[in-house]
Amino acid sequence: MTASARRAFAPRMLIAPSFVLALFIIAYPFFDIARMSVYHVSRFGILGGFAGLANFRRIFADPVFIATVWRTLVWTGAVVSGTILVSLPVSLVLNENFHGQGLARTLVMLPWSVSLTMSAIVWLWSFDANHGMINATLQSIGVLRQPVQWMARASTAFPIEILVGILVSVPFVVTIFLGGLSSIPSDIYEAARIDGAGRVQQFWRLTLPLLRPFISLAVVLNVIYVFNSFPIIWVMTQGGPAEGTQILVTYLYELAFRLGRPGEAAAVSLAMLAILMVFTTIYVRMQMRSAEP
Amino acid sequence: MNERNWRKSLLCWLVLSPLILTTLFPFAVMISTALKPAADVLAYPPRWLPSRFDWGNFVAMWKAANFGVALLNSLIVSLGSTALAILVSVPAAYALARHSFVGRGFYRQFLLFTQMLSPILLVIGLFRLAASIPWGNGTLVNTRIGLIVPYAAFQIAFAVWMLSSYFATIPRDLEEAAWLEGCGKVRAVLRVFLPLALPAMAVTAIFTFINGWNEFAVALTMLRSPSKRTLTVQVVNLVAGRYSIEWNQVMAATLAATLPVAALFAWLQRYLVKGLALGAVK
Repeated sequence: MTASARRAFAPRMLIAPSFVLALFIIAYPFFDIARMSVYHVSRFGILGGFAGLANFRRIFADPVFIATVWRTLVWTGAVVSGTILVSLPVSLVLNENFHGQGLARTLVMLPWSVSLTMSAIVWLWSFDANHGMINATLQSIGVLRQPVQWMARASTAFPIEILVGILVSVPFVVTIFLGGLSSIPSDIYEAARIDGAGRVQQFWRLTLPLLRPFISLAVVLNVIYVFNSFPIIWVMTQGGPAEGTQILVTYLYELAFRLGRPGEAAAVSLAMLAILMVFTTIYVRMQMRSAEP
Repeated sequence: MNERNWRKSLLCWLVLSPLILTTLFPFAVMISTALKPAADVLAYPPRWLPSRFDWGNFVAMWKAANFGVALLNSLIVSLGSTALAILVSVPAAYALARHSFVGRGFYRQFLLFTQMLSPILLVIGLFRLAASIPWGNGTLVNTRIGLIVPYAAFQIAFAVWMLSSYFATIPRDLEEAAWLEGCGKVRAVLRVFLPLALPAMAVTAIFTFINGWNEFAVALTMLRSPSKRTLTVQVVNLVAGRYSIEWNQVMAATLAATLPVAALFAWLQRYLVKGLALGAVK
C-alpha cells in the first residue's frame, strides 16, 4: 500500500456503511425500475417478454399523461416561484432585530413540523363547502354570498393545492435564506450607508447579489421536492375530479397500484427522473455561465 | 427601549402577519373542531367556538383510528430509522469533516443524487425489493423493518450534511492534544470528539425522527394490515374513501399526532437554521 492509499483507507472505511446502505436501497430499485420499463409487466409485477420502448410509446400516446406533464410543470413552477416570493421579504424581516423576533421565527417555521399529510387533511376540512371555516369566514366578512364548492372543480381545487404547497414550503426556504443573510458581514452595509446608499439601493445592490447562491440552492432543492411531492394532492383530491389535478407522482402511483399498469408506471418514473436531470443540468450550466465575469 | 424600536417591531409584525395568520389557521381549525360535539360540526353556519367542550372526541378517535397501535408503530419506525441513519452517518460525516481523500467529491455527488431520487420516484422498485426479501413467514412487505431501512437510507444525505457541517466547527486541536498525551487515535475520537459532537448528533437525530414520523407515501405502499399502519396512513384512512367522515374525531387525531412534534420542533428550530447555514456555505 502506498502512503496516499493508506491515508485514503480509513476515511473510506468510515463512509462505507452509509454508502453501501444508500446504494442498496436506492440503486437496486432504480435498476429494477429501468428494467421494468422495457419489459411487458403483468399487473402483479411479473416480467414477461422484452418490450423495447412499448411502455414509453404507450404513456406518450396517453393524453392524460401529456396533460399531467404540463400540469406538473405548472405545479412546480407556481409553488417554487410563489415560495421564493413569499420567503424573501419574510426572511429579510426575520433577519432584523425586533421585539418578539424569536417568537416570529418559531411561528413562521412551525408548518415544517407538521406532516404534509396532516396539513392536507386540515386544509381539506377547512375548504369543506358547507362546514369548512374558509367559506364561513369569507361569508361573515362579506366576500362570498354563497358557499363555494372549492374541491368539486379542478379550476378551484388545483390553485388551492398550489397555495397549500407554497405555505408548507416557506419554512425550508426561509431557513436557507436566514442562513444566507447571517453570512453577509454587516460592515458592508455600514460602508454603503457612508457612501449614501438608501435602504432600497442596499437591497438591490448588496443583499440580493450576495443572496444569489442561496436563492439558487433554494430553487434547485425546492424544484426537486415539489416536483416529487405526493401527499397534498393525494389527500386533497387524489388527482381528481376527472384527472384535473393529477401530477406525475400521483399518476405514477395510480398506474402502479390502482390501475395495474406497473410497466407504464416504471416508464413514468424514468421520464420524471429525466425531466429532473435536464432541469438540474440546465440550471447548473446557467449558474456557471452567470458566475463567470 | 426607545420609541423607534417599538415602531419598527410593530412594522415587522405587520409585514409578517398575513403569513403567520395563515400558518396558525390550521392549528385553530384543528383545535376548534377537535373540541366540538358532533352536532356542532354539522351546524350551519359553522362557528369557531364549540357550544361545549367535547373531550370525548379524543376517546372516540383513539378507538376508531386504533390510535395507540398506530402511535407505537410510528414510534418504532421513526426511532429505528433514526438510530440506523445516525449510526452510519456519524462516521461518514467525521470522514468528510476531518479528512480530505480521493473519492470525497464523488461521495458528496452521490449524496446529492440520492436526494434527487426521492422515495416516491422509486416506490415501485422499493416495493418489489421488499417483496423479494423473505422475512418471517412472508416478505419485508407489511413489516416495520421494511420501512425502517429505506427511511434510514433516504435520510443519510441530510444527516451527513448536517453532522459534517457541525463537526467541522469542533476544533481539531483538541484531538491532536489528546494524541500528544499518548491517547490512541480511536480513543481520542471516543473520549474527546464524541462528547463534543453529542449535541449536533441529538439535533440531527430529532430532525431525522420528525421526517420519519411524517412520511406518508412509502408507508402507504408498504403497510397492508391495520396492525402495522403508522399514524399518517391511519389518519388518512379516516378520511379517504369514507362515505361519512367524523371530522371532529379526525381533527382530534391530527391534533394528537401533530402537537408533540410541533412542540419539539418549536424548541429546536434555531439549531436547524444554524446547521443548514453552516452546511450551505461549504
